[in-house]
Amino acid sequence: MSAQGSGLEILSIAPTATIQDRGRVGLLRYGVTSSGAMDDHALAEGQALLGNGRDDAALEFAGAGGRFRAHGTLWLACSGAEMALRVNGTPQRWRQSFRLDGGDIVEIGAVHEGVYGYLHVKGGFQTEMVLGSRSTHQRAGLGHRPAAGQLLPVLPQPADMTPLGLPRSDHFDRRELRLLWGPQSDVFPRAERARLLTAEITVSPRRDRMGMRIELDSGPIHAERGLTIASDAINPGDIQVAGDGTPTVLLADRGSSGGYARIATLASADMAALAQIPAGGVFRFRLVSRDQAVEALARHRRALDSLASKATPVTRDPRDMDDLLSYNLISGVTDGDDLDLD
Amino acid sequence: MGVLVEFGDRYHPSINAAVLAFDAAFEGRRPAAVIETVPTFRSFLIRFDPLALPFDTLHQLLAEMLESRNWYDSGPPERRRKWVIPAVYGGIRGPDLAEVADLMGLREDQVIDGHAATSFTVAMLGFSPGLAYLGQLPEIWDFPRRTTLNPEVPAGAVLVAVRQTVLPSTPIPTGWRQIARTPFRSFNPRSDTPFLLQPGDQLRFEPVDEAAYAAYSAYDMDALLHEEGA
Repeated sequence: MSAQGSGLEILSIAPTATIQDRGRVGLLRYGVTSSGAMDDHALAEGQALLGNGRDDAALEFAGAGGRFRAHGTLWLACSGAEMALRVNGTPQRWRQSFRLDGGDIVEIGAVHEGVYGYLHVKGGFQTEMVLGSRSTHQRAGLGHRPAAGQLLPVLPQPADMTPLGLPRSDHFDRRELRLLWGPQSDVFPRAERARLLTAEITVSPRRDRMGMRIELDSGPIHAERGLTIASDAINPGDIQVAGDGTPTVLLADRGSSGGYARIATLASADMAALAQIPAGGVFRFRLVSRDQAVEALARHRRALDSLASKATPVTRDPRDMDDLLSYNLISGVTDGDDLDLD
Repeated sequence: MGVLVEFGDRYHPSINAAVLAFDAAFEGRRPAAVIETVPTFRSFLIRFDPLALPFDTLHQLLAEMLESRNWYDSGPPERRRKWVIPAVYGGIRGPDLAEVADLMGLREDQVIDGHAATSFTVAMLGFSPGLAYLGQLPEIWDFPRRTTLNPEVPAGAVLVAVRQTVLPSTPIPTGWRQIARTPFRSFNPRSDTPFLLQPGDQLRFEPVDEAAYAAYSAYDMDALLHEEGA
């Protein structure tokens, strides 16, 4: 089949689905926030599994995925929040690259753990590039909006590749997230700021790619000098406090500027961990210094960079194996019992 | 990581002029590890990669620049452009005109005349792509935003509150009141120049009728550029 006719046909898709890459950076001064994958670690996992470039685009889903049909041979991989994955009805490992032939059906069901899952294709989905990125920005009307019936274009696919697998990332377990004070922190009384650091915090169901409302077990936050200030630019991870005292962590699709005072900012290194905490999930903040936040970012980047070297072959064709019996067929990335997805 | 340089805590023409002058000066000395910068009404945000540019190095540059001169006596930006933007006031194009007239204790035609007689400065872009905050209307326009949110006003809505005019280029939810609508779009994602208005640009509105509105809708937006230079 020619490359022109190949691609991934969307048979059905969750309404939360978007196309995401690393985002549309550099346009904040024009009112355009970056978008980009909510979980940058998961995006990097997919690139590592398929040998993709850092800026290749994937499908992102929250909560559930969809059903898709291959047109021509495709090399795919799933990453991020683990969802029920089946190929032609047979359960398939998450975080592993695999091949589809023309007509094969891949189905991504309900999420098991976390929030945001990703479906990657070798070379990335070739949807429309707008202002330097393929990321969908729903609110701003930028980028491709995936919908049933579409054929998502892909680059010509290799006939053969070595399927790779990655272990589960521990950022799904993180329940202590690093926090820095910001320029407007002193709008809030000391006792209120302290409460942000001591409270048990629950993620509200009112969350999306723009922001996550969070609730302190000790109640809403109060400000001394009023909650509105003259608008200025908002960084990703800024935590604004609206009139009712509910804090919201502002994320990839936020408005670029706002007039609600911001009590603190989440460390960049912990954005992916926060994004993967489901509604009702509980966590705490820990105050760090600027140096500690920078060190955490350095570690986070090293972890992303090391994914390519951590991805290991998951299957071998027995015909290629001279000494099959010398392989340990049980150990490796498959635990043996984790294929029972349902 | 971001650093915010605050020139004031409110909108004021001299504070905004300081921000825009600082923005222009910083552009000339911008370290490579700066990801992007954002001038606003009253502040200047610098987003940078702290692994490639130590915070202390950037802080030192900013402190040196801040001390180098009095930024508050900056005039308008050198490169500003002047725009005349057609707008249909009232009716379906400005559904909140009557309410605004009530708030101001004026007749609708007086509101239109006052708005169209004002020379605006683009104070900042923000909130949504290409949305321009325009300063500044006379004191009598100092009424608050609504407490309830209108779930959507269209692109090109001319919105007013707190002595300011807001001009969105995409549909947005808002608490501001819509007195007019323009065919002008500051943001055109498929254009070679996707963002037309720049902070510091000057702008005034020209009341037009429906026929002129329809004619302008087919225009190249650049045709609305009135005059280059200050």
